[in-house]
Amino acid sequence: MPIRVILAEDSYLVREGVRRLLESEPAIDLVAVCEDYDSLLVAIASAEPDVVLTDIRMPPTGTDEGVRAAERLREVRPAAGVVLLSQYADPAYALAFLQHGTQGRAYLLKERLSDLDQLLAAIRVVAGGGSVIDPKVVETLVAARSLATQSPLSRLTPREHEVLSLIAQGNSNAAVADRLVLSERAVEKHINSIFAKLDLPEARDAHRRVKAVLLFLAEQS
Amino acid sequence: MPTRPVAVLIVDDQAFFRSAAQAVLAVMPGFAAVGEACSGEEAVARVEELAPELVLMDIHLPGISGIEATRRIRSAHPGTEVMLLSTYRAEDLPGGARECGAIAYLHKEDFEPEVLERIWAERAPS
Repeated sequence: MPIRVILAEDSYLVREGVRRLLESEPAIDLVAVCEDYDSLLVAIASAEPDVVLTDIRMPPTGTDEGVRAAERLREVRPAAGVVLLSQYADPAYALAFLQHGTQGRAYLLKERLSDLDQLLAAIRVVAGGGSVIDPKVVETLVAARSLATQSPLSRLTPREHEVLSLIAQGNSNAAVADRLVLSERAVEKHINSIFAKLDLPEARDAHRRVKAVLLFLAEQS
Repeated sequence: MPTRPVAVLIVDDQAFFRSAAQAVLAVMPGFAAVGEACSGEEAVARVEELAPELVLMDIHLPGISGIEATRRIRSAHPGTEVMLLSTYRAEDLPGGARECGAIAYLHKEDFEPEVLERIWAERAPS
């Protein structure tokens, strides 16, 4: 039985190239070709795919359509696989794509398209519930993770992180206490612990508070 | 009305993009792929041999770049037009891309039959 594949890609050149590759492959039944998110959702609902091969960025927003379509597929057709194609290795998209598990998921860079065998192998693997992650994507995930580990913010407990996040939003200690259902004294203790972990030496509290918030915001961006 | 399609040479080191460009040209009656090359040096040799009217030239190639290959082709064969086709954003184009004699630069993501037809109609000598 050939694998039923939906292809979604807004770039004409890539779409036609992949279409040609897949149509020449007897083990693949190309059941739909889509150019945007809406037509992909229609195809997912109607074409009974085994695998969706999709670009990440497509109309209408050109941001994370492929990742969202993969989420939708997980809801309506959980056994189907997804091969996500990306121009660049983007750890944020990769994490969003894989957050509910790697089963039946492949994340490939478009530069791999030159290797037809690799693309077909990825389609076969995800159709069988397996996973393929491009080595370059793994590298960027590891790099992003080690960067996060090196950050002084990684030393904070989840609660301290919450407190600092609220401070960064302009909340006073009393407001933070209110939001987290803590005493003001408990909030102060958290804040002192945050200052210590962020290596902010004792100085005027307002100054340390601003620095801690700047560190927090720098990592958010 | 042109009676003969525009002869096109496709230059890209990635087989996928050569095949993709072939697929696009196959649906365009006004254009016909007459050959392929995988490097700048091979592109120069293939132009010599095939005398295409248009070269679709990738920029990042092994050996000489697509930009240098375009210079050589335009210098030796002024009747052959070159269109650069790559994945650089316009603002990140390498030096020389705008002065190498190519009629246009196009991002691979923007390459469509209508765009190719328009650029050819607007830029090619009549």
